[in-house]
Amino acid sequence: MLYTCLLPACQSEQHLGQYYTVPPSHFHTVFPHGLPPRYQQQVKTFNEGCVMVRQPALELISHLKRADYSKPTLRYLLYGVKGSGKTMSLCHTVHYCSTQGWLVLHIPDAHLWVKNCKELLPSSYHASRFDQPIQASNWLRNFRTTNEHFLSKIKLRQRYVWTKRESTEEGRPLGELVDMGVSRVKSSSDVVGAVLKELRLQAGGTEGGFRLAVAVDGVNGLWGRTTLKKEDKSPVAPEELTLVHNLRKMINNDWCGGAVIATLSQTGSLYAPSSAYLPQELLGEEGFDSMDPFVPVPVSLYSEKEFESCYLYYLDRHWLQHPHSQTEEGKKELIFLSNRNPSVLERLCAFL
Amino acid sequence: MAAHTLKKSIWSLGRIHCHIYGVNVRNPLNRATYATALSTNHSSQNKGFPDRGNKGPFNRRSRREAGDPRTDRMPVDQDWTTVYPTATPFRQGSVPLPVRMGFPVKKGVPPEKKGNLELIKIPNFLHLTPLAIKKHCEALKPFCTEWPSALDTGAKCDEHFPVKVECKDYVSAGTSLRNPSARIVHLRVSLSACVNYDYAMYLLTVLYHESWKMEAWESEKTVADMEEYSWEDSPSQKNIMSTLVRMQVAGEGEGEAVREELLGRPEVQEYRDSVTRLKNEGESESSMHQYRDAVKKVLNL
Repeated sequence: MLYTCLLPACQSEQHLGQYYTVPPSHFHTVFPHGLPPRYQQQVKTFNEGCVMVRQPALELISHLKRADYSKPTLRYLLYGVKGSGKTMSLCHTVHYCSTQGWLVLHIPDAHLWVKNCKELLPSSYHASRFDQPIQASNWLRNFRTTNEHFLSKIKLRQRYVWTKRESTEEGRPLGELVDMGVSRVKSSSDVVGAVLKELRLQAGGTEGGFRLAVAVDGVNGLWGRTTLKKEDKSPVAPEELTLVHNLRKMINNDWCGGAVIATLSQTGSLYAPSSAYLPQELLGEEGFDSMDPFVPVPVSLYSEKEFESCYLYYLDRHWLQHPHSQTEEGKKELIFLSNRNPSVLERLCAFL
Repeated sequence: MAAHTLKKSIWSLGRIHCHIYGVNVRNPLNRATYATALSTNHSSQNKGFPDRGNKGPFNRRSRREAGDPRTDRMPVDQDWTTVYPTATPFRQGSVPLPVRMGFPVKKGVPPEKKGNLELIKIPNFLHLTPLAIKKHCEALKPFCTEWPSALDTGAKCDEHFPVKVECKDYVSAGTSLRNPSARIVHLRVSLSACVNYDYAMYLLTVLYHESWKMEAWESEKTVADMEEYSWEDSPSQKNIMSTLVRMQVAGEGEGEAVREELLGRPEVQEYRDSVTRLKNEGESESSMHQYRDAVKKVLNL
């Protein structure tokens, strides 16, 4: 039993190790920017997106099903060694939230906001902060694609003034705000802040309430150092960036009606040793204190059963072409070479 | 004219070999040379290059040949301290040893000392031969006092100087002068040699009471200075308290009573222990699991 046709909502322990297919229509809406790049290539090659049902994702989904959404938000942190499947588990959970009708706020990689920014504008709203127009407008575009159906339903509760002539009135739909942010790139960071604030206020609401899932990949990028420099070559601290400042507010548990699911990531992180994978090493003191109390969810390497399943999937898709890889000997070699690490196995099989 | 000044400058420097442009300018074309102000036009020798004095386009300044290395003229019983009086880089012409250093490429041998950068890079102690050190000692002797004649046995030294302080210095080639192990100093006192028990007790009592005194600057101790993590008044405690209060776990009631009640709960105690363990002992899989279970219990998952 390699495949299951059940969507995440109906999956349970008995489906561990089986693959389920993400419907193609969901790919563009749910995952415009969230999937790992190699997985996206695999999807294009195989012409379908199959995700393995694994323990961490199931655990997360069961927590999400049973949680009480009138209490302050729960934070879940996926951690594990490089390549163990944290981003994929996050995407699996995001797919579940999306199929259940939640509003998904997916930040594909928080590290992208603290490095390699070509343009840093001083913020108009707050004197000592900096805006990142390109990153903010990109993210707003993807947000719009993911949550089209919510944009007309949610109404703003406050009036936002952008310039002397432009303002968004109370009661206008959220979609208008997002469109404005995408078109007026200069104020897009402030638009992101406004969007986050509105969603935070309205998430647990009783009238027309919706559940909000904040999925952040590489959350350890929000605390720590950046590689950005001000004009006088002094380094920029993360809290001086508008986007980071607003996102940190979302991760606090002072709102209710949703969940925060985050992963740690060493790849792409700045100034972190490559062997670091435990929460405190990557988050640092400040990050840990902000996230505390959170539920850490460890993501381990493939178990024997999961490895079997992955191997059979590649065989089934005719991905393993080399004749030796189809033998028992070859399988043992693969186990030895990859140490059952999912990403290493994927890269190895790409050569065969 | 250009060539005229060129020739004049060469003669005035009195060089024997001058190879400018590969042509021996001293007597080019075998013309008769006249030591007069006038001379024939040799501008054809210039080949169109502007005059730069002796520099020329390739800086072929005339240089004397390197002589024989000093090693050839070294007698066996020479005074080595004159060759290397101070710490200087390795000079292959001054060291009469057939030293080889480096990686043997293609099954060869380590390269010889001539032109060997590896030998120059490393520190050498050629200036510290036993003879040199003897000379240093002789030079320092006028500044030293004599060893007290009464302290001729080890026992007598111990008797008069019971406290021994041992410091270590380290020498190594590296990027930094400092070696952290050099900061460790051993102070040895033999307890059996302590004659004055009363004085020792007095000292210890004084130290004990002194340690209880609070200096003004001690109140400026910040969280970063603390040796151990204490959960009270930490951000972790504040977070969990506010979370629990908002979850209305304790029921109705405000302020201190609620806090006390919450702190007394076993789940909160467990949570406190796990966080303290994480911060003090560092992270590991087991401490993470403990933290996970504690959080799940506290938040009723």
